[in-house]
Amino acid sequence: MTKFRHLIWMVIAAGGLMLSASQTQAQTADVGDQPGLVPDDSVELDPEWRKQVVYYRTNEAPGTIIISTTERHLYLVQGNGRAIRYGIGVGREGFQWQGLLNITRKAEWPDWTPPPEMIARQPYLPRFMAGGPGNPLGARAMYLGTTVYRIHGTNQPNTIGTAISSGCFRLVNADVADLYDRVPVGTKVIVRQKPQL
Amino acid sequence: MMRTFRGGLLIGLAVAALVAAAAITYERYDTKTLKRTIRRGEVLCGVNKGLPGFSIPDEKGNWTGFDVDFCRAVAAAIFDDPSKAKFIPLDASERFKELQSRKVDILSRNSTWSMSRETNYDLYFPAVAYYDGEGFMLPRSRNIDSALDLNGSKVCVQAETTTQLNLADYFRINNMKYTEMKFGKLEDVVKAYDSGQCDTLTADASQLYALRLNLSKPNDHIILADIISKEPLAPVVRQRDDDWMMIVKWTLYAMINAEELGITSKNIDEAMKSKKPEVMRLVGTEGSYGEDLGLSKDWAARIIRHVGNYGEIYERNVGSESQLKIPRGLNQLWSAGGIQYAPPIR
Repeated sequence: MTKFRHLIWMVIAAGGLMLSASQTQAQTADVGDQPGLVPDDSVELDPEWRKQVVYYRTNEAPGTIIISTTERHLYLVQGNGRAIRYGIGVGREGFQWQGLLNITRKAEWPDWTPPPEMIARQPYLPRFMAGGPGNPLGARAMYLGTTVYRIHGTNQPNTIGTAISSGCFRLVNADVADLYDRVPVGTKVIVRQKPQL
Repeated sequence: MMRTFRGGLLIGLAVAALVAAAAITYERYDTKTLKRTIRRGEVLCGVNKGLPGFSIPDEKGNWTGFDVDFCRAVAAAIFDDPSKAKFIPLDASERFKELQSRKVDILSRNSTWSMSRETNYDLYFPAVAYYDGEGFMLPRSRNIDSALDLNGSKVCVQAETTTQLNLADYFRINNMKYTEMKFGKLEDVVKAYDSGQCDTLTADASQLYALRLNLSKPNDHIILADIISKEPLAPVVRQRDDDWMMIVKWTLYAMINAEELGITSKNIDEAMKSKKPEVMRLVGTEGSYGEDLGLSKDWAARIIRHVGNYGEIYERNVGSESQLKIPRGLNQLWSAGGIQYAPPIR
């Protein structure tokens, strides 16, 4: 069973690599996306997902982003034993990954071009959607390496703290705008996964 | 003939009395806590009478909390049954004496580990279960995220506590000024803060999260990440019973190691089939680590199955799944931003 799962993982990883090589313009979006839905940004998040400064001990330099997929938290390292912690939504089972990447591009109110394999899974998705309040990528996007993955906003604030995306990390629009202003292109992004049994 | 019989009877009675006395003495003074616990069929745990998140009984007498779950973990390791833990509420003033006089097997009662407590009471704190420490709560609207920005603040604090002394030290060391607003009772400290008489309130961080729940607008207040004192909360056992001390210590370390390895109460069956050496040693499918503790091979698997790993116990009682919602902070694993670190099982 474990071997079989490994195999599946390898196939997904290989697919992901090919994808990232050929589809640099494509962008992941998510099952259950509601393109066109304008978010109610006055919704107050559960304290667990609200932006806050927390104790965080690390050897990584201030300015580094560390994402804990299991915790559903994104940490922006501040030095002096602390970090700004944001609540995030992460990839659903089978769409989670781990590694080190850099932010290669930043965009405000990004356009959305769902990649072909997403269209195949979710035929009802638009082929292109201009940036704006109803766009599932939300107010800001930070592009990770040459992959299809981004740190982005959302038009579904209620999905923060859940694992439903296709591998992207989403924050509420106010948080993603806050993070966007704090990190330049070139920022190191470390993604951590739960250990395998 | 009669004389001999009477003599025999007297000798017999004397022997019986001696045996009885020896048995009572043995029962009372046997230093092997594990043996006493097994004979009794339950672990006796000294706990706080009522501290939300750590140990508190409901109307039906069901105990919940972080300290309570730790005792259940010890019971699960020994008996494969977490319900074999019996909770005995103890006052702060009597707790160490009650442990010494064998009224309880373990004290799991938010007790700070300090040197004098080990030396003066002949006790031992096997390992830190929860890193607590003094922190600050203040209105979100003040837009401060470091304790070093508190210069010139009016600080609400409970009088005659180490909290008050730590506060004075912290401001002096950092060349900051403050106005002390001290009150004898904690509830008056909170009332003064809630009515805006102080800029900030200081207490142990775990307490601040509990106090915040009772403010008129809890969401308008934040607790700073800074911790200015060391309050390592640990279970306590008697000295000179190393076998028992090891069981208590490794129960905690098993839970921390389980979290690090990704073993939870939900995937423990899958973990039993794992071929990863570290996982196999922990769950007992390789080695004889449990037997060497005087327990069974699957001692740690029992703990995880019935009670959970460290993170599960934390989140359920004081973290995201509880009312308190205390961020992991210092109590996060060493590999994920905190300082919880367990020696390896090997």
